[in-house]
Amino acid sequence: MRRRLRAPKFLLAIPGFVWYGFFYAIPVLFIVINSFGYKPAVGEKGSVRLDRLSFDNYRNVWTVQFRQVFANTMVIAGLATLICIVVGLPVAYFIAVKAGNRLKALLLVLVIVPFWMSFFVRTSAWKIVFAQSGFLNNFLLDWSLRDSPIDIIGSKPAVLLALVYNYLPLMIFPLFVSLDRIEPELREASKDLGAGRIKTFASVTIPLAAPGIAAGALLTFIPMAGDFVTATILGGAKGNMIGASIYNFAVQGQDTPKGAAAAVVLIMLILMVVAIAGVIVGLAKFGLSLNRRVSLEVAS
Amino acid sequence: MNAPTAVVRRRRTFDVVRLLGGLWTSIVVIFLLIPIVYVIIHSMNGGNSFNIWKEWGGLTWYRELFDNRSLRATLVNSFKAAIGSTLIAVVIGALAGVALVRRRGRWTRWFMALLFLVLVTPEVIDGFALLRWFFERDFNSPFENGFLGIRGGMVRLWIGHSLFSSAVVTLIVRARLQGLDESLEEAAADLGAPPARVFRQVTLPLMVPALMAGAMLSFSFSLDNVIVSSFVGNDSSTFPLYLLGTVKSSTRPTAGSGAVVLFSFTLVFAAVTALVLRRSGQSSSEIAAHVAG
Repeated sequence: MRRRLRAPKFLLAIPGFVWYGFFYAIPVLFIVINSFGYKPAVGEKGSVRLDRLSFDNYRNVWTVQFRQVFANTMVIAGLATLICIVVGLPVAYFIAVKAGNRLKALLLVLVIVPFWMSFFVRTSAWKIVFAQSGFLNNFLLDWSLRDSPIDIIGSKPAVLLALVYNYLPLMIFPLFVSLDRIEPELREASKDLGAGRIKTFASVTIPLAAPGIAAGALLTFIPMAGDFVTATILGGAKGNMIGASIYNFAVQGQDTPKGAAAAVVLIMLILMVVAIAGVIVGLAKFGLSLNRRVSLEVAS
Repeated sequence: MNAPTAVVRRRRTFDVVRLLGGLWTSIVVIFLLIPIVYVIIHSMNGGNSFNIWKEWGGLTWYRELFDNRSLRATLVNSFKAAIGSTLIAVVIGALAGVALVRRRGRWTRWFMALLFLVLVTPEVIDGFALLRWFFERDFNSPFENGFLGIRGGMVRLWIGHSLFSSAVVTLIVRARLQGLDESLEEAAADLGAPPARVFRQVTLPLMVPALMAGAMLSFSFSLDNVIVSSFVGNDSSTFPLYLLGTVKSSTRPTAGSGAVVLFSFTLVFAAVTALVLRRSGQSSSEIAAHVAG
């Protein structure tokens, strides 16, 4: 057979390589280099000096105060991711397994549509929902369901709620896709072999859905870890997320080297979380294959 | 008489899981829709604030969007940014996606690693890195004096917005082509079609659903992008940046009406995409898989 192309195989990927190389790899590399530089004295030109490299910025970013911000960011993003899994898994399961075809399409639309409303505005809308004399609080007070109005705007719970709200569709969709791909026969077989509902769910459905759970966790965790807009809108000055610090260093505070160090630490932390997620999925798959082997041996 | 069926149907019992799952799903869907309803209602607020409802104001704030020149410009800029970055993302993603499936080689691993890094980098870091790259004054950045015309804020937005979405489009195209046999393309080639023609007449039509889904995603990402824009955009150049600017003062009802306008455009785009995907014979699950990336 004649081979028509003498060009290198990656010919078609060259635009991609150039694009990511030029606008991703090199700029990010600059940030890494910048993180070892220092801020020039007042009146001097430029925003970074690189003639003397050191770890000073990392030391400055790893102080008690900043460690608190990093920890805060990771805890909030992690907690919100967990809530997304707990809230989203039953929804995805219902849509994928229990709903008929029509209902399935309708529910998928209803889950994704809110995601297309402006991020900023739909986040601000929670201020309206929890307004002191808003509909919800008036309702709760009028029906004596609470003694005092709910007052969470400007606090951590509000940021947490809005984060879950903003990223929940990104959790439900990959979960749905992975659950939808599991053939019903597998669950049937498990039940026929005598496993109960809970056992089937725990040892067949969940391990098979593990890649979806991991994908959803990453799709929600990563943007949450860098998100500073949600906290800016709802948390006021109290919402100390690392994304906000990086933005302040980079744009307002004009301390590029420090911001660069914070950015490098953030990406390191995220890569760590990604690695952990990978290990968990690997373990789930391993556990599943072990399970299967055992059942096969028992069966034979 | 029919032969008795061998299948023993399980007795249909009252399904508790189904009931509870349905209940929970309804609660979550309502939770997701509440703010959307509030936004739509408050976009028709008669008062001067988005957050505090005063009285019915009709479409006042929708007219304001078109009467107020600077506000209208932010909306137009948002569309320009979305269209440009979508085109870039689709072209890069389509080519790279084809190459990843049909021209596999040692380079594939490197490219996937690069894509992976692009996908796990939070936007705040993309934005910061591009800010330094575009405005570097210390060591003669090629862009300092407007290299390639990148001085223009719009081009910066196109680049910034297309980074993440082109990676997503690549993965969607790759997934679509992996599910398709290469025999069609080989048959066309064996019948004497040159490679460019094979691509245009066979591969490209097969990719249309993936490209539509990718375009739809890129468009909605860009239209709503705040974080990357806040680094590389000019002040209040796009609608989301205008909104970010209002956070310190008070948000006006135009925030709501503008958001609803952008929302409607996204919905129309999504409906057209769903239609194309359905035409190409995909079930709602597959469409969802596409839209989810």
